[in-house]
Parts: sequence; structure tokens; C-alpha cells
Amino acid sequence: MKDIVIEPWLVDETTHEFFIPEYIIQLAEEVLKNYDLSVQNMQIVTTKPDKGGAIWKLETKSGPKSLKLLHRRPTRSLFSLGAQEYLVEVRKARVPPIVKTKDEKSYVEAGGKLWFVAEWIEPLTPVTKDLEGARKLCYALGEFHRLSKGYVPPKQAEMASRLHKWPKNYEKMITKMSWFRNIAKYYPEMPASPPLLEVVDRFEEQARKGRERFLQSSYVEFVKQGTAHWGLVHQDYGWSNGQMGADGMWIIDLDGVAFDLPIRDLRKLISGTMADLYKWDATWVREMILAYHEANPITPELYELLMIDLAMPNEFYKNMKEVVYEPEIFLNEQTAQLIQTIVETDQSKWPVLAEIENDWKGVG
Amino acid sequence: MRILMVCTEKLPVPPLLGGAIQTYISGILPHVSQFHDITVLGISDSSLPEQETIHGVHYVRVPGKIFEIYRENVVRYVEANKFDLIHIFNRPRLVLPIRQAAPDAKMTLSMHNDMFQPEKIDPEEATAAIAEVAYIVTVSDYIGNVIRCLYPQASPKLRTIYSGVDSERFLPGNHPKMQKIRNDIRRAHGLENKTVILFAGRLSRNKGVDKLILALPELAKKFKNLALVIVGSNWFSENDITDYVAYVRALAKRMPVPVVTTGFVPPNEIQNWFAAADLFVCTSQWQEPLARVHYEAMAAGLPIVTTARGGNPEVIFANENGLIVENPEDPSDFANKIAQILSDQSLMRRMGEKGRQLAISIYHWERVASELLEVWEQAEKTEQAVVSEEQAAGMTIEPLKEDATEQLNRPTPKADAKEKVHSKKNAAASSDKTKKGKTKKERAISMEDHQQTAKQKEAAAERTELAKSAPAPKQPQTGRHIKPFTIASGNQQTLDASPKTHLNRKLAQAKHDTKHFTIASSH
Repeated sequence: MKDIVIEPWLVDETTHEFFIPEYIIQLAEEVLKNYDLSVQNMQIVTTKPDKGGAIWKLETKSGPKSLKLLHRRPTRSLFSLGAQEYLVEVRKARVPPIVKTKDEKSYVEAGGKLWFVAEWIEPLTPVTKDLEGARKLCYALGEFHRLSKGYVPPKQAEMASRLHKWPKNYEKMITKMSWFRNIAKYYPEMPASPPLLEVVDRFEEQARKGRERFLQSSYVEFVKQGTAHWGLVHQDYGWSNGQMGADGMWIIDLDGVAFDLPIRDLRKLISGTMADLYKWDATWVREMILAYHEANPITPELYELLMIDLAMPNEFYKNMKEVVYEPEIFLNEQTAQLIQTIVETDQSKWPVLAEIENDWKGVG
Repeated sequence: MRILMVCTEKLPVPPLLGGAIQTYISGILPHVSQFHDITVLGISDSSLPEQETIHGVHYVRVPGKIFEIYRENVVRYVEANKFDLIHIFNRPRLVLPIRQAAPDAKMTLSMHNDMFQPEKIDPEEATAAIAEVAYIVTVSDYIGNVIRCLYPQASPKLRTIYSGVDSERFLPGNHPKMQKIRNDIRRAHGLENKTVILFAGRLSRNKGVDKLILALPELAKKFKNLALVIVGSNWFSENDITDYVAYVRALAKRMPVPVVTTGFVPPNEIQNWFAAADLFVCTSQWQEPLARVHYEAMAAGLPIVTTARGGNPEVIFANENGLIVENPEDPSDFANKIAQILSDQSLMRRMGEKGRQLAISIYHWERVASELLEVWEQAEKTEQAVVSEEQAAGMTIEPLKEDATEQLNRPTPKADAKEKVHSKKNAAASSDKTKKGKTKKERAISMEDHQQTAKQKEAAAERTELAKSAPAPKQPQTGRHIKPFTIASGNQQTLDASPKTHLNRKLAQAKHDTKHFTIASSH
């Protein structure tokens, strides 16, 4: 068993929904031998076949637990596990406590990956898909960011920081706009190519303007304050990874945490929520920012960066990224329709951003 | 000297998986190992033993891949073994941990990339690292200038040593050894009767091969029978499809010119693709340090089209061995330059010949090795200048220190006597008469020079009193610099090491004052 290396696996129509190769299931059982748990039932709840990750729910005599096979490099996983431990033990944050092995370790290494067991929090219910739910999500996010400050990764862990990567991300977005254009140009017969060509200039222009504003912003000053000052971002925070428990909001699935400016999580949550609404709504955006601000205060300079980031063509970019893989499939009627929807939603964004632009003037 | 060469944590040496730094190290080892006892410390690989000695070079391999893990292993090794000089490749962040583990070793650093940028190394750590090393060797003037801009105090320590290529392995397609290979490759890939444009490198946004692909429709209008060959995978041996690779493929599919993509080619076969080509294009969009493919293309007798980015233009003599694209973001700029060469057969031939000639006369490994040997020898002599730089960083207005810095900058007579390739101009001037690397006998003479220097040192030591009349130097801040990089596994050692280092510094300080007067008196 020792030389086994966990690899991503194939799923197709012959496999069931949560298929996991047998050798990984055997490894999971080996891993559990390191714990003082009497497991009565073990059920797979999520898989990441393309990366080689999985989550099981365990029923044990000491209550429900989760067993996770982390798909990232072990050193990267160490960073996240350290963060989870810090948040629970030092900051008393509402994130699932890690269950220790028999010899008091936080994880087990097997198959070239890290595995760990955490408490399965019950009950957990998603917040309602309304403004009140959004406020709760945002407040919990702010709290998470505030409590994550001061985290020092374990010595063996790989440093996970995106703090310095903002300029490159903006550059990349601009570059990729030209990729979208070129693909549409060289695949003119596809249904989504003409609409894509029609709108790509506009989104590229938005990205360029955003980058200009970004270069004038306080970003450089922010970066100088270092990772410890800003704390961690979750990177995958949304309506399922923030849920209501018995005593307040819990934040789960911390595997991807990294140092960064916290408003990146908030920006993603806002723009994603507006996309779900098919329309930008000034009240929602304001309330979401305010709820966040209550838990983790936003300075006028940080607010400005949030405004800049919200103004980037994030949704267009996110949805078109796939085009490079199989243009002959991707650029179909459905994508043509999607482009239409994105353009319409985008039109409602600008009045909203203009309206709230000056909300933070004179604050702080 | 007992010398330790510390590689990066990314790829193993020898360069089984390629890599410019790994190729560089392997290229110079046969030469430098004739003069020094060399140990190469690098990362482990399943196909290589943890320790071995080949042709007198000791290889030690420790787990790496992740910088933090590698750093700890390197420190552990350095603590347990003694070296006179430690040469670190491209990892300024290893300087302080290694210094802590080896307080007495002389240190030099090679820079192949912009690793001194603030997002790669904390400025405070960078300043301290620069203070600790005697010399910083860079692969191009570009890399040196970036360091100079960020850290002016590094200036006297910087020295460009252009890389090299094995001209016996990289040969023109019409060379007797290559004719069959060239024909076989061309036949196997449908490239017979085609003019083959070659790109070799990582498939990434930075390297920009997409711009070359987008230049093809324009070129296809002017020239018949063109083909583009793209050699390389997105990241060394991994053939993962990144979004960039997917983009390049999607474009290539729709081009009026055949585009052959090879995927990863093992480093020991790559010369065959150069021999099969007719023109080499480097499309770098980023500030490239200086891509080693230029040397390989020159050796293979290919005219080069490259970009005005980073150090790339430093090896191009306009209209002699290639042309430079000023706006690499614009595909038609590539189309123009390529067309210029392709439309003039005699220019194309001359450029190829010039490239080959440059590769043979200048860009050979012996020259690289001999320049590095000089750096090491000078590092040995200027040992204590390390401390002076550290102080210089801390007290910029002290006139003595500024003078000292200038003096260090001045080449010693010995260095002057040798032919060096510091810049394009020098390279051109020396290209016709560059000799083969020095013989052992000549090296022995250099060693005598060292003894001479030692005597001078002794003589100068008597004048230390004079030095004391100079303005009192500030206390070196080594303790503070070293502290944050304590490696926990060596706790015991660390507690002792700190004051010891401090004492060494004081001793060094006395020597260093002496040293300055030595130099001054010799001018």
C-alpha cells in the first residue's frame, strides 16, 4: 500500500455518480485505522475525479464526522489544515474542528495526499435565497476574514498567497479577451461566434479601464502591509460553503484558503449573486457590503478597490474561459444565448456602481 | 577550493527533464571540476541515486520540489559539511539560511531570472542576501540591470556571464551528422519541401507562440510551402492541457499553414528539431532573462527572429545573426521580420553561418566555466568585502564606503588581462580570437596569483592602524537579518551560532578594513 499514488480518475456513463476507484476506498479504510473512532457507516458525499479528491460522511459512536481526501499537494494542504486549526483553536471561529489521530496528529498522509477527519456539523441549513440570507452570508464572511488574521502557516507548509497576483490577474483577463476574439474570428461558422465578436470589444474596454483605475488605486500600499495584516480568503465562498448552524453561521470547506485582500471573496459573492438575480440591484449590493463591513470594517481605499474589481467584466470572463478548449462545441446556440444574458445583466450593473460609488466617501 | 553548487528545488541535475539552469550547471561542470573539488547539491529524482560521484563531481540529492522543504534539506546538508565557497543558483532566498549554516564560507550567487523582484523576495531579506554574497553572476545584462535598479548597492558585485551551448551536439541540418536526421524528421512529419519555422519553448502566455501562429496567414500570402513546428510542452515533461495550450491548438487547427506540435521532447533529442528547421523564432512577450534557445539556434546555424524583451536582444547582432521584433504583441511585426529573412536566401544563409560562428567562438561552455572560475577566485580574494557591502548598505553617506565600493567595481589587473564577454560589444570584438579554455598549467599560475594576494594581505595587515583612523563603521546588522530565517530543526545550533557569527563579523570587520587599503595601495 505504501507506494500507491492517488491519481485523478475517469468518470463516464458506466460509473455511478460518486464513483471512486477501489484502491482509494481501501486507502480510506487504512487511513481510518489511525483514528480512535468506531465507524458504523461510511458514505461518499462528494468527489473531485479530475483532481483526485473526495469527502465521506462517517457515522461514528462519537457522532458524525467527515473524512476528506485533499486533492492538493501535501505541502499546500498543510497550509489549509494549519489555517483550519488556527481558526478553531485560537480564534474560536465557527469552522469544523479537526479530529486528531490516535497519536495526536491533524492528518494522515497516504497515497501521496493528506487526509483528515473533521467534525460533521449538524444541523446546518443553507440561508434563504433572499436579501436577509445574503446579509448573513456577508457578515459571516467578514467575521471569517477578521478571525483569520494573524495566521502563521506551519513551517513545512507551502506559502499560499494571492496578495501579489492582482496585477497579473488583470493582465490575464485583458489578454484572454483577445483570445476570445481570435477564436471567434477563426471559427466564424459557429452560432456563438458573431455575438461573441460583437461584444468582446466592449468587455475588453471595461477590463482595460479597470486596470487603469487599479494601477491608480491603493493596491501597492495594501500589498506592503503584508499577508499577516490581511488574513485569509476562502476562495470558494458562496451559498453552500456558508451555512446556518445551531449557534450561528458556519464556514466549511477551507481547503483552498490563501492569503489575499479579503474583498476578493466579497466581490465574487456579490457579482455571483447578481448574476443569479439576472440583474444588478443597488440595495442588495449596499446591504451586502454593509453586512460585511459590520464584521470586518472596510476602509474607503479598500472600498475603492472593491468598486474597481466589481467593474471588471468578471462574469463574461468566467463564462467564456472555456471557449479555448473545444470551440466547435462551446460556441453553440446555448452560448450565444448566454452571451445575450450576460450583456443584459451587465447593462444593469453600471447605474448601480455609479449609484454606490461615493458611499464610502468620508467614512473612516 | 571545496565548492558547493546549490541548484534550485525545481528540476534535477543532470537535466533529465531539461531546464536552463540545470543545463548550464551540467555544461560547465566538466571544466570547473578540473580546478576545484565540486559538490552539486540538488533535488532527488526517482531515476537518480541520492549520492554519487561522476568524473570527480560529487552529487548530493535531497527532497525538493517545494522551496521550504528543499531549504531545510539544504541547510541540514550545509551544517554537516564544510565548504570554502558556496555558489547558489537563482535562489537569493537560500542565501541567508545557508549563511547561517556556513558562517565562514564565501558565497556567490547566479541569477537566471528576476528573483529579486519584491514579490519574490522581501526587500529586507534581499538587502541582507546581497550583503552576504561576494558576487552575483547574471545570465544577461538585463537581469543585472533589474537587480541594480532595485538594489543599487549590488552594482559592484554584478557580473554578466552569458550562457553557452554544446556546438558538437547542436549542429546545422546540412552537417554530415545531421543530414539523415533532418531528412527523417521532415519525412515523418510531412515537412519535405517545406520551409520550416521553428519555435521551441514552454507553451505559455509569456513565451507567446500564439503571436507566431497568428502571423501565419499573412506569411502564407507571401510564401508557399511554409510550415511551423512547435517544440515543447506547457511545463517541461508534463503534457497537461492548460487554457493557453488549448488556445494555441484551437488556432493552429484553422491555419492555412501546417502546424506540427511535438509535445515534450526529451532534452537529449531536441537538437534534432533544430537541425530539421530553417528559421528560428523566439516569441517572448515577457521580459525574458535571455532564453537559451537562442544559443541552440545559433549553434544549429539558424537565422533568428526574436523579441525586444528582456535580455533576448543582447545576443542578436542586427542583420548579422537575426532580427529583433520591436512590438512582440503584434503578429504582423513577426510576419514582417520573418518575411524579410525568408525573401532573401543569401541573407538567410549568412545569418545562419554567423550564428554558428558565434556559438563556436563565444558561446561555448569552456568560456562560461572560465568566467565563473574567475568569479570564484575573486570571491576568494575579496572575501571580506562581503561585510563592507553590508555596511555600505546601512550607511550610504560614509565617503570611505563609497570609495571602497568604487574600488571593488574596478577590475583587477588580472581580470583585465583576460578576454571576457561582458557585453555584446566585447563579445563581438573577441569573437575571432577567443581562445579555448585555460589549461591546468595556466590555472596553476592563477593559483600563484592567489598566494601573492595573500602576501599582500599580510603586508597590508600591518597597516591596520591606518584603517582605524577611518570613520567608525556602523555595527553590522547581521544578527537581525539572520534571526527570522532560523531553521527550527537546528535550534540547538542556532542559539550558539548567533553570537559566534557576530564574533566572526568583528574579525571580518578588521580584515575588511585592511582589505580596502590593500586595494587602494595597489592603484
